[in-house]
Amino acid sequence: MQIDIDSLETYNRLAREGAQSAATALSALTGIETHVEVTNISLVAPSELEYEYLGGEFSGVRIGLDGALDGETVLTFDSAARETVADVLAPGADEGMRRSSIEEVGNILTSGFIDGWADHLDAVIDISPPTYVEGSGTDVLPAETTGADGQVFVFRSRVESASGSLDFHILLVPERESLVEALDPATDDAIPFEKLEVFNEMTKSGAERAAENVTTMTGLETDVEVNRMRFVPIDAVPATVGDRRYVGTVMEYTGKPSGYLAILFDRPSAEAVVDALVPMETDGEWGEMEQSAMKELGNIMTSGFIDGWANVLESSIDHSPPTFVSDMGTSIMSPIVGRMAQTQEHAFLLDSTIQTDTDGVFRCELFALPDGAELREVLEELLVERADQTRVDPDEVF
Amino acid sequence: MKVLIADDSEFMRSLLREILEEEYTIAGEAENGVEAIELYNENDPDLVMMDIVMPIRDGIEATDEITESDPGAKVIMCTSVGQEQKMKSAIQAGAQGYITKPFQKPSVLEEIENVVAG
Repeated sequence: MQIDIDSLETYNRLAREGAQSAATALSALTGIETHVEVTNISLVAPSELEYEYLGGEFSGVRIGLDGALDGETVLTFDSAARETVADVLAPGADEGMRRSSIEEVGNILTSGFIDGWADHLDAVIDISPPTYVEGSGTDVLPAETTGADGQVFVFRSRVESASGSLDFHILLVPERESLVEALDPATDDAIPFEKLEVFNEMTKSGAERAAENVTTMTGLETDVEVNRMRFVPIDAVPATVGDRRYVGTVMEYTGKPSGYLAILFDRPSAEAVVDALVPMETDGEWGEMEQSAMKELGNIMTSGFIDGWANVLESSIDHSPPTFVSDMGTSIMSPIVGRMAQTQEHAFLLDSTIQTDTDGVFRCELFALPDGAELREVLEELLVERADQTRVDPDEVF
Repeated sequence: MKVLIADDSEFMRSLLREILEEEYTIAGEAENGVEAIELYNENDPDLVMMDIVMPIRDGIEATDEITESDPGAKVIMCTSVGQEQKMKSAIQAGAQGYITKPFQKPSVLEEIENVVAG
């Protein structure tokens, strides 16, 4: 299976236009303005899809696709949006009618989302009657998707309203064979799907190494919860990272590939890790020693993250000393995006989440943005059989 | 034995100092490669614990210059970088040992013993 990056750009645009069509339809039905906040294509292990639906209760519809594109879509409203839709369309109605209104709206929005794909493929995509879904995590996802082998491409959009009362998600999970035909590489520089999978696995291995380093330094047990490679319009990267406040570090790495890595902790996690390294006054101020400790942690995590790439590729990747950051995610990523946007319109955003298994106190997100052209070169040169050579013991070299 | 610490991180210099000062004399602390070279020439340490990623001049360049002017210099790279090509560059620059961060005190002392013993 070959992946044509140009086709990914086309399909990312189709997904965004489809989401915009769904947003417009919902605004027309409810009278509430909505907009597409984020659209991207993720390459993930199926088991990690459930993280899309954790941390809240969702309800919506699951719809099967058949024809020019086989697969499934899931369109879900969060709790507030579900109430808003039902209140507008079925005011005062019983629960059965309210649920029916959600089903029908989901059906209409999904049709709007899919129509553009059918038009682009100049073929028919049939959609199944909607199945009502409710809950969190795997309750919302089709079992056959989460149980699949290998990694899957997932097209996802997040639509939001100004008041936050009408937010919804759309996931499209095409079947692999069907996607192959849809992407149909037209150029010679298409990339084997297997190499993307392998690079994503190498990145996960790097994130695991970074997590181990945190544990070694702080004593806090950590694990990589989510790892995915997302293909996004470069100007959508800040919104993808979101407007939560973070404390952490940003580094530029040079070599092949070059790019940027942001290691971002939520504030309680940042205070917890630094407190484990140096006693910290929790008065909201970060002194020189605390910042130094955070930068050194970032430095060590960065090496853990990118060394595997260098070792597999038998190359060298340097990184700059870390810069301490404390700001909203969007503000942290905007200057990076500003620099990268001079040379590329889309980017692969490598995104890993490290957190504790137990109480959820510790949470850290790694966002790597490699240069697009250099990543293509890396993928072309990548020897799949070396993919497990991420770690090197200095004693074997010295 | 006098040990020079070169690391741009105040936190890491403090950690290394704690580990080393029980058994060795600290011959100075440098925040970058240029300072490391200057302090080496001024204080004539028996061993340098050298970070790689540092501003102004990195640890491999500094090691190269130190060992060129003093072929008997003993340098241990003490770095987060775990890339094979970097390890080979460190050897070419004249380093005799390599410790990857995060480290434990025993592994630091053991590597120092190995390098000092030659």
